[in-house]
Amino acid sequence: MSHDSTAETAAPGRYGEVFDRGYAHYTGERLGRRQAFRSLVGFSMKRAMGIRKSWSAKILPILLYTSAIIPLVVMIGISTIAPDAGFASYSTYMGIIFLIVGIFVAMSAPEMVCVDRRERTLPLYFSRAIARFDYVNAKVVAITLLTMTLSLVPAVLLWIGRQLVDNSPLQAMRDNFGDLWRVLLLGFVTAAVLGTLGLMVSSFTDRKGVAITIILIGFLILTGIANVSMELLDEYDWSRYLILLSFPDVFAAISDHLFDDLDNVAVDQADFSLAVYLGYSLALVIAGILILRWRYSPRDES
Amino acid sequence: MAILQSETSASTSPAASPVIEVRGVTKKFKRFTALDNITLTIPRSSVGLLGANGAGKTTLIRTLLGLVKPNTGSATVVGYDTQTQGTKVREHVGYMPEADALPLSTTAADFVGHMAEMSGLPTRQARQRAADVHYQVGLSEERYRLIKGFSTGMRQRVKLAQAIVHDPELVFLDEPTAGMDPQGREDMLELVERIYGNLGIAVVFSSHILEDIERVCDYVVILDEGKLVTAQPLGQMETVRGEIVVQIDGNAVAFANELRRQGIAVRSGDVEMGRDEMIVEDDEDRVYDLIRDLAVEQQASLRTLRSRSRTLEDIYLGDVGAAREASDVTR
Repeated sequence: MSHDSTAETAAPGRYGEVFDRGYAHYTGERLGRRQAFRSLVGFSMKRAMGIRKSWSAKILPILLYTSAIIPLVVMIGISTIAPDAGFASYSTYMGIIFLIVGIFVAMSAPEMVCVDRRERTLPLYFSRAIARFDYVNAKVVAITLLTMTLSLVPAVLLWIGRQLVDNSPLQAMRDNFGDLWRVLLLGFVTAAVLGTLGLMVSSFTDRKGVAITIILIGFLILTGIANVSMELLDEYDWSRYLILLSFPDVFAAISDHLFDDLDNVAVDQADFSLAVYLGYSLALVIAGILILRWRYSPRDES
Repeated sequence: MAILQSETSASTSPAASPVIEVRGVTKKFKRFTALDNITLTIPRSSVGLLGANGAGKTTLIRTLLGLVKPNTGSATVVGYDTQTQGTKVREHVGYMPEADALPLSTTAADFVGHMAEMSGLPTRQARQRAADVHYQVGLSEERYRLIKGFSTGMRQRVKLAQAIVHDPELVFLDEPTAGMDPQGREDMLELVERIYGNLGIAVVFSSHILEDIERVCDYVVILDEGKLVTAQPLGQMETVRGEIVVQIDGNAVAFANELRRQGIAVRSGDVEMGRDEMIVEDDEDRVYDLIRDLAVEQQASLRTLRSRSRTLEDIYLGDVGAAREASDVTR
């Protein structure tokens, strides 16, 4: 039953009214698991970005986005002044922002999974209309989409910027359209690999600080070991496989294969094909998802 | 402003099909048996799930939510099989866990709205429902504040709000009054009473506090060491093997002694303390006649003559004790 009480009963001189809003049963549509998945992706992304949280949670994402945009603006600016300098290359830009993307993942991935464990929100999630693996898949999608805002969107803007500074922008877009899918592929692979690995590491602890430290230090140590070892052991053929431990070099290699605009000693020494690097990236993503699924599989606690 | 008035009066709604059916469920964790061959039918009602810590209450709830797979047996909740249709069960059921389970750096409105979406509600309706449910639990004004600034009582209300935001057919409340001060506990019990009484949502209220169960439930399930001790309406329990409370104006000691002489058991402690209330065991049809005749004989006025109900505590201690003794004998 519903009726408009205020319209019927409001009288001149009355300034307020108390009424019972009652309780209405929900009779609308229920979208089930699909809606739950979508909501979990969106909520995870918002939380990692600090949206609807205190202002302090927004500082780091804003700083990192600003750090990614500044080189982009500089590169496009220089291209406008000196179009033939070749300064605004995709590989150079991705090399510059790779560390920023790494820090972004190190901050966002723990926010997505450690906090749910630490605040014990998981029982609430698992009591809703999702399966356990939906939770894992939603988090992987969320971190990948979020990381793409840094690894892909600025690179797409760089592509657009490069075409716009040309004398004939539309013609330039048509001529360089092939670069666009390469930019998309590189941005997506970077986001998927770093994001999944970040989540995987974070799933082993409920402490955000510990996860951030492990991701950043692990990233630096592996890169350092790979570079030093490759240099010291360059007479051995197998040493080229050590590049697979160095994520900046793996993505530099993919970038070099896609755009052919980079001079990197480690990449030249390893001399792997694009298929090897892409296959390796895919294997990392699959391994990361499998480990995440194992971490969130139901266990019988005694 | 249109006012929605569609509260359900549970007392007037027709009796419906059972909300939960459990058939021979056993759940073992390594060597520990958490649930031991439980068979149970629970009506659409306000049901108390009673048992000491470790009795199997939480495991039973988790099994009914489809989160724990039993070793043997099966269960149906709101018409869906918990093992094969777990997602469907959880779409139509709410759950309020005992432990803290809220994201502290999020506003209550955001989180409860998100939980409504997690149960399948479209985004716009989820926000609307979140606002309505916050009003129902008394957090209408505070819902845009971060949860970390909430008191224990307010956090419990947020947990309750997220459990009913999607308008479930059944809600599991796991120790909802745990850790609350007396006023907060009173408020929470009132809310729980309202969930079934006014909102028409069936409730399974898990607790080890008998008083709370007695206050808000009209059906009780008692578990002990993973075994089902009893499952029956609270009203029915109150009438079994009752006792009679007798108060007279006159010589109560002589009255009690005469009853004993006639072979009737009388608890006379209060009489000897100078109080005139006596508890007379009501196990024979002739007891009421005897009391009446004796009052006439001794010229004593009967001030009170009523059957004394067994409290839930009597039932709990009696039935659980009997179940444990039986278990010891079989060992």
